[in-house]
Amino acid sequence: MFRNNYDGDTVTFSPTGRLFQVEYALEAIKQGSVTVGLRSKKYAVLVALKRNADELSSYQKKIIRCDEHLGLSLAGLAPDARVLSNYLRQQCNYSRMVFNRDLSVEKAGHMLSDKAQKNTQSYGGRPYGVGLLIIGYDRSGPHLLEFQPSGNTLELYGSAIGARSQGAKTYLERTLEKYLEIEDPEELIKLGVEALRQSLKDETLSNSNLSIAIVGENLPFTQYDGDSVAPYL
Amino acid sequence: MNHDPFHWGRPSDEQYGAYNNTIANASPYPKMNTQQPIVTGTSVISMQYDNGVIIAADNLGSYGSLLRFNDIERLICVGKNTVVGISGDISDMQHIERLLDEMEMENNYDNSCADDEESLRPSYVFEYLAAVMYQRRSKMNPLWNALIVAGVEEGKQFLRYVNLLGVTYSSPTLATGFGAHLAVPLLRRVVDHESDIEKTNLETAEKTIVECMKVLYYRDARSSRKYSLAIIDNDKGLIFKKNQEVSEMVWGFAKDIRGYGTQTV
Amino acid sequence: MTSIGTGYDLSNSVFSPDGRNFQVEYAVKAVENGTTSIGIKHQDGVVFAVEKLITSKLLVPKKNVKIQTIDRHIGCVYSGLIPDGRHLVNRGREEALSFKQTYGTPITVPSFADRMGQYVQAHTLYNSVRPFGVTAIFGGVDENGPHLYMLEPSGAYWGYKGAATGKGRQTAKAELEKLVDKNPDGLTAKEAVKQAAKIIYMAHEDNKEKDFEIEISWCSASETKGLHKFVNGDILKEANEFAKKEVNGDQDSDSSSDDEVNDEEEAAAPSSTIDAEGDVQIN
Repeated sequence: MFRNNYDGDTVTFSPTGRLFQVEYALEAIKQGSVTVGLRSKKYAVLVALKRNADELSSYQKKIIRCDEHLGLSLAGLAPDARVLSNYLRQQCNYSRMVFNRDLSVEKAGHMLSDKAQKNTQSYGGRPYGVGLLIIGYDRSGPHLLEFQPSGNTLELYGSAIGARSQGAKTYLERTLEKYLEIEDPEELIKLGVEALRQSLKDETLSNSNLSIAIVGENLPFTQYDGDSVAPYL
Repeated sequence: MNHDPFHWGRPSDEQYGAYNNTIANASPYPKMNTQQPIVTGTSVISMQYDNGVIIAADNLGSYGSLLRFNDIERLICVGKNTVVGISGDISDMQHIERLLDEMEMENNYDNSCADDEESLRPSYVFEYLAAVMYQRRSKMNPLWNALIVAGVEEGKQFLRYVNLLGVTYSSPTLATGFGAHLAVPLLRRVVDHESDIEKTNLETAEKTIVECMKVLYYRDARSSRKYSLAIIDNDKGLIFKKNQEVSEMVWGFAKDIRGYGTQTV
Repeated sequence: MTSIGTGYDLSNSVFSPDGRNFQVEYAVKAVENGTTSIGIKHQDGVVFAVEKLITSKLLVPKKNVKIQTIDRHIGCVYSGLIPDGRHLVNRGREEALSFKQTYGTPITVPSFADRMGQYVQAHTLYNSVRPFGVTAIFGGVDENGPHLYMLEPSGAYWGYKGAATGKGRQTAKAELEKLVDKNPDGLTAKEAVKQAAKIIYMAHEDNKEKDFEIEISWCSASETKGLHKFVNGDILKEANEFAKKEVNGDQDSDSSSDDEVNDEEEAAAPSSTIDAEGDVQIN
């Protein structure tokens, strides 16, 4: 069952200096359904594929709003994402109340990194089992971050995480020059949905399983679910 | 009932006799914090003009009526376009200086836009200070100061006041302490309504502030001749003038004043 | 590593019969695979430089900054697990702040190094934590002039004239030694920036198939008033060009395109993996 002796906890390095528990946590992301993020020079967009446990159940929420200017989508353990997004909401509120300031996306990323790192260096816990795509619009423009349970957070133009996300990622790499220049937010969403399609296998996108969010210049974080995603299908 | 707050929640003296502090080795008072400032700085005065704000404060630290220190800088620069003017207790002011220094440091941590988009703005500095002042008064342990935060933000003037009670307000002209009584009426002769701001240029504004510093030096016995003046201008940025001196005064009348000082009538 | 599998390497804070703490040695392995970082002490300050691998063309250039400021006069760069480095820097900032609050003066670099050493060493003492997976190079200017230190996962630290860690450390160290030998009186700040860029380029040679960016910072009495600042604009551009030219000159058989940063097509790997230094590979 165990690959080796060095993967039982987060406080043991393997002889090659790896942390298997952290690497396994990264695997948990791939168990989650796919989500795509991308940005232009004015807007940032999240697109996600929602899953339901069975026919009669509702669909698992994939996108969480944190503030007027900030939100995220998740792949992996949804409860972990709720912990992290609650933390971000608190930090956004704190920044608003104490400094009259929108939390910068860069700082939000660093805060998540530092929170996740703690779980990788001390005994008794586990790393977070969720990957996040964070989008936000602050004084320096739109941003997209990818957060990983290892505590790495990277700023990207486009990214995809979750099951079969490579398809979407390849598409985003290929169309990078195009979507960076997109002026119309609707167009950017459409390209995002197209990227998401590259990662589908048996699923077909519908009103019930597609989730979209956008934020940007003069556009607070807005979510589209259910019937409101119809125009983008 | 005994209405003295110091007796609330205590056994009644009628029933048990007076509480003996010496036996309990206790203070005659409940826990106490600052009750008065010690070394103080007097007024800070400020006003808006068409392209920015001006703020000034003298360099004196008074110990009661003793002019104890003559080189206290009470205008503190934070970032590139904010100046905080502080009157009241000087040691509390120095504590606030440390808070502002930490705020500035923290803003530079891992902030790739620290020099431009994500630099500190006067409204951030003010909101923080107002939160600190209110929190301290709510702990019944106030920082004994009145502060004015002056600056420019997104091309607009920023000028706002907060004091030891946590009270905040804004106005085209602002002053703390004695200045609120002596300087504000004079400042309002130039800028009374919001609409007067754009009719007032830097030259007029600076002249007005300088004139007010003179009046304050004449009439405020806790003021000094030497002062600092800061201009935060949309185009010119932050101009900080140290070691300014009140000039062109007339003191000839002084010898005729009777009833004060050491002279015999 | 003959003792692997004997059980003494499974927990931190445990000695093997021959007196080694394996978990610390394994942490060093994490560093050895990390991206190259260097530090140079020069006449009136220090320069830090680090190689940033561009693992995907989706990464935003010049973002994902690695070098960090600890106090106004102290900078830090590290190789290994990047999140561990952030943890260390956060601790460093607390130490520098607490020193300032207590003594009313910025911490001197040697006493800062001492405090950091204690903190890292404490992470080798208990089985409830693991050692830091980073080797950090830090330093700056204080009232006694410039200082440069390198701190290892064991908590050991030394002062250096030139320090290097990470994958390309062998090459970098050799170059640093040459540099120090050739300049007994030390370099100027600007010269040190150029040399730092060159050394990062040379250390990257063994890893040529990967694109990279270079990040440089400095702390110098003459150039930055003793403050730790990033090198950018013309000075960075100049350093990059100098480095490219120097490295190119050494190996004239190379095609020029190899020296261009950012022009390589990505080979699509099937999944995202994380390598030992904690740099996420997005392919």
